[in-house]
Amino acid sequence: MATPRKPLWRRVLFNVLAWTVVLLIALPLLWMILTSLKPQTELFVIPPTIFPGEVTLEHYRRLLAETPFLTYLENSLWLAGATTLVVIVIATLGAHSLVRFSYPGRERLARLVLFTYLLPSVVLIIPLYFLMIRVGLVNTLASLVIAYTTFALPYALWLLRSFMAAIPEDLEAAALVDGATRMQAFVDVILPQAVPGIISTAIFTSILAWNEYLYALVLVNSDEVRPLTTGVMNMLITSFNIEWSLLMAASVMMSVPLIVIFVFLQRFLTRGFGAGAVKG
Amino acid sequence: MTGITFEGVSKRFGNVSAVDALDLEIGAGEFVSILGPSGCGKTTLLRMVAGLEQPSEGSISIGGSVVNDLPPSKRDIALVFQTYALYPHMTVAGNIEYPLKKHRVPKTERAERVRRVATLLKLEELMQRKPRQLSGGQQQRVALGRALVRDPAVFLLDEPLSNLDAKLRAHMRAELIQLHRRIGRTMMYVTHDQLEAMTMSERIAVIRDGRLQQFAPPEEVYARPSNDFVAGFIGTPSMNFMTGRLAGAGAERVFQSGDLNLSIGALALTDESAGNDDERLVRIGIRPEDIVLDDAGERARVMVVEPTGHEAIVVFDYRGNDVVARMGADSGLRPDDVVKVALRIDRMHVFAESDGRRLNDDRD
Repeated sequence: MATPRKPLWRRVLFNVLAWTVVLLIALPLLWMILTSLKPQTELFVIPPTIFPGEVTLEHYRRLLAETPFLTYLENSLWLAGATTLVVIVIATLGAHSLVRFSYPGRERLARLVLFTYLLPSVVLIIPLYFLMIRVGLVNTLASLVIAYTTFALPYALWLLRSFMAAIPEDLEAAALVDGATRMQAFVDVILPQAVPGIISTAIFTSILAWNEYLYALVLVNSDEVRPLTTGVMNMLITSFNIEWSLLMAASVMMSVPLIVIFVFLQRFLTRGFGAGAVKG
Repeated sequence: MTGITFEGVSKRFGNVSAVDALDLEIGAGEFVSILGPSGCGKTTLLRMVAGLEQPSEGSISIGGSVVNDLPPSKRDIALVFQTYALYPHMTVAGNIEYPLKKHRVPKTERAERVRRVATLLKLEELMQRKPRQLSGGQQQRVALGRALVRDPAVFLLDEPLSNLDAKLRAHMRAELIQLHRRIGRTMMYVTHDQLEAMTMSERIAVIRDGRLQQFAPPEEVYARPSNDFVAGFIGTPSMNFMTGRLAGAGAERVFQSGDLNLSIGALALTDESAGNDDERLVRIGIRPEDIVLDDAGERARVMVVEPTGHEAIVVFDYRGNDVVARMGADSGLRPDDVVKVALRIDRMHVFAESDGRRLNDDRD
């Protein structure tokens, strides 16, 4: 860019402001990591220490060896994976249908889907709970996959719809003429074009499933099926005691997968949200 | 060999009629252009042959069997899109190979056929590129290659040259003519460019508002247009029209328009005009090349001269009408010159003012 350089004082001011904001946001995270590395004796000393006097991985060891943390982690991974898979499969097919096929009420259907997204999820929790009891899914991971799908799907549909709409219709027609069936044309030609949209939708969905707390609290209540969010709270926060060191170690390990995903796929995410904003 | 037959084919989108009760028979191995202004339904017609649209009424047959209910993949056709519609994520080789894959051609044969097409269209150097790394002309050749590789019975081409620059377009026109001669397949070519239609086709189907206006060889469409629309649509500059009435009959027949009295007794007209031609409203049409400098003609003032190099397009004020004439480049005419010009009566076209149909008696 050929824009002239801003004057020095403005650049300094800008940097000071930006770094202040970054610090404000990063400080709790930093505190979390540092606390997880301190021995318990150092937690409540006065004056508090910022950097641990002695670094220990004891809390991590205890979490992994003596608690059901790994079960929770496995559950969370399953939840995020299954929800993402279900949402992506339904949303890509659905978005394609909303864009390409013509049938009565198509636009109305698309708008209706958006309205369901506007409904606060809290109001659905009791009905959903009773529903899960009826179909015998209460206290299973499947109940959570279904619940998460219901709120991730509308947004996923709309995000992918704008991606699908940008794919030229002729491409699909060409594939059909070249001998593909509708499904083959979709897989061979449409899906590869929609990859950025699919990735950003997948990130959105998996984060939602990874972080969700409320439904996990209500719909499942045994250790075998608890995800990390409720599991960690349940095991480390009791009425009598909060295991701060373990809590911080658990929090670090919960955040790591998300941070890794973000670092690698961040550019798809911004592209995806951008497309949704302009065209949706 | 495989022809295409349309019987009473209509296509409506909601209340809009895109194609209206169309009958057309394209012979096996024939090169037919579907010519018409934008939005006349010609692309819809093509997409119905391809199976991408369903006719609302009527039937379409390819090679004698009705294909209305066949999916595109079962029709033994290839379609070249105006946008080329190359698969962006595949290489040139991948694009050309795709139809063979979908038709389960064995791998070794696929490679051989792709190679042959690449040689034919001079694409060998580009096989590993992605479509976005190609120029317009190269993309267009890949699109052709993808159509050719399967050796289908029928080729459908939807304005395939309209995205190319003028020079490349002329070149590709010649290539397509040669290609058709070599492979001898039925080709249905949709275009709004009359030059393409005139130069390439064996027959032209002129379409307007979803209706067939005329289906004839290029020379005939030009020399004996079936109505005033075809007459005005074909030919550059387009035909001159004058509205007036016919008076008298036989050799005494006169065309009157304002204070112009043109004796057109030499022109043979059909009986339907002869019946009550005393007060018959007509439009006469005369092509620019049928207007000549002639001392026996009417006085006309030169308004505009547009030299094109090998000729000059001259606009005359002819009795209050602007008429466009094609003159030799050496005519020496200047604006405001007053000369005498004559219309070649034997080359004149007469159309009914009411519905535009041709009234010339074309029997020899």
